[in-house]
Amino acid sequence: MRRKKVCFVGYGSTEYSRKSEASVLWYYAEAIRDALRQTGLHKKDIRGLSITTQVSPDYSPHVAEQLGLEVDWVLNGDYGGGGGVMSVRRAADAIECGHIDVAVLVGGNSFDRSNPTQRQLEYQRGNFVDVYGYGGPNSLMALIQRLHMDQYGTTLEQIGKIAIAQRENAVNNPQALFREPMSMQDYLNSRMISDPIRLFDCVMPCSGAECVVLAAEERARQITDKPVYLVTDAEISHYQVANMLPDKTTFGMKVVGERIFSEVKHKDIDLLEIYDDYPIAVMIQIEDLGFCKKGEGGKFVDAHDLTYKGDFPVNTGGGELSVGQAGLAGGFLHVVEALRQLRGEADGHQVKKAERALVTGIGWLNYGRNLGTTSALVMERR
Amino acid sequence: MAEARAPQKSLPKINKVDQAYWEGAAAGKLLLQKCKSCGKVQFFPRVACVDCFGELDWIESKGTGKVHTFTLVRVPRNPAFKEEVPIYYINVILDEGVIMESRLVGDSKEKVKLGDRVKVFFQETHNPSIKLPCFELAN
Repeated sequence: MRRKKVCFVGYGSTEYSRKSEASVLWYYAEAIRDALRQTGLHKKDIRGLSITTQVSPDYSPHVAEQLGLEVDWVLNGDYGGGGGVMSVRRAADAIECGHIDVAVLVGGNSFDRSNPTQRQLEYQRGNFVDVYGYGGPNSLMALIQRLHMDQYGTTLEQIGKIAIAQRENAVNNPQALFREPMSMQDYLNSRMISDPIRLFDCVMPCSGAECVVLAAEERARQITDKPVYLVTDAEISHYQVANMLPDKTTFGMKVVGERIFSEVKHKDIDLLEIYDDYPIAVMIQIEDLGFCKKGEGGKFVDAHDLTYKGDFPVNTGGGELSVGQAGLAGGFLHVVEALRQLRGEADGHQVKKAERALVTGIGWLNYGRNLGTTSALVMERR
Repeated sequence: MAEARAPQKSLPKINKVDQAYWEGAAAGKLLLQKCKSCGKVQFFPRVACVDCFGELDWIESKGTGKVHTFTLVRVPRNPAFKEEVPIYYINVILDEGVIMESRLVGDSKEKVKLGDRVKVFFQETHNPSIKLPCFELAN
């Protein structure tokens, strides 16, 4: 039984063909166009997307980028034949919670076998980025760091201070792969990977996993005497996707920050676990979340102590930069570290006042812009 | 046989969505898309307008623009590019008002500064029917 009534408001359908080899993307687009015509909705009304297919498998965020959809909710409806009904359930959950008003759920297939091994990232990355001999995400973030340094006067030392502070946080963290202190000389002298991104700007890929367990409040108090409450959360994917002259130094985290801080105050946050694929990404997120003005991240870092003992604790266990990045466990590392801190279980790197934490998650560097997915949550010990 | 296993420089996997783009590049044309309904000009090749979801036409770009940002790649993702390091990987703002990812080539590329004017240059690849739209500094 749902607490809020959710409705189906329209549908779209394409012709079926045994012979057509049009791309599955074209079929998605045609089905969506059909639904837009029927409902009179505009493309910009679509703020939620789910894709169900067996063609690639297709990743919904990448389809969203291809279709030029900036969305507040995105789902891989990968449940086989159950995808239609199950994506409805998940969209209804999001609508019930007020995360979105309108979601479009698409299932599709194509007999187009011209590219049977084309991966979803190759909607743009394989054909329009990788062909130029780039250095992976290191190069894409380097483009952004160069702009930030040029436009705002951000220095390597300011960026390096983030890596150094996080390393200090890792010294007493037994899970961290890197526990030796890092000096500014170590940072500046580290091997150039993709100018200006250096080795000590990069995470170390490794094996590992993290998990979190959630429950309703009534049940939570039966399970633990240290429940941590989810206070608020927000996301946006492919911010600026339709802007052909985008601002590369502003992430979707700006929109996320506006939503989060309409419900909590900046001064109420005791510690931050910020997705740290690169130190410059941490700095930009601090700006976009509204802790300082755009472009003043370098000055902010100079003026604050980011260690677990400091006045603005960031990545209190060392972050992915010092702990390691176990693939997509990286996104979970920050959630788990925040939980450790709020439950008082971060031996050796415990922040003294740890009642409320902000955690961010970001994913993929998209075409010509910056982050594909940006999200944040605030958790609180009660 | 060592050659058979050596990594090859990345080439596009041409598909229904971007086939016209690559045919244009092979013929020395840089193609963008323009919406038939609202006139929006956009890149990379897609199936729908990013503003209104309308259908798209191909148009030819002048092939000129300016360097928005760049990086010197020292460790390419694909090791086949190792001998070309440092690779000048760039973002260009085309004069049509569209950002594009590409590469800066040519003898003077070491002099690149943010904001420099550039012109498209179609680079040949090991596949004779595929050329890559790159850029050179324009004087």
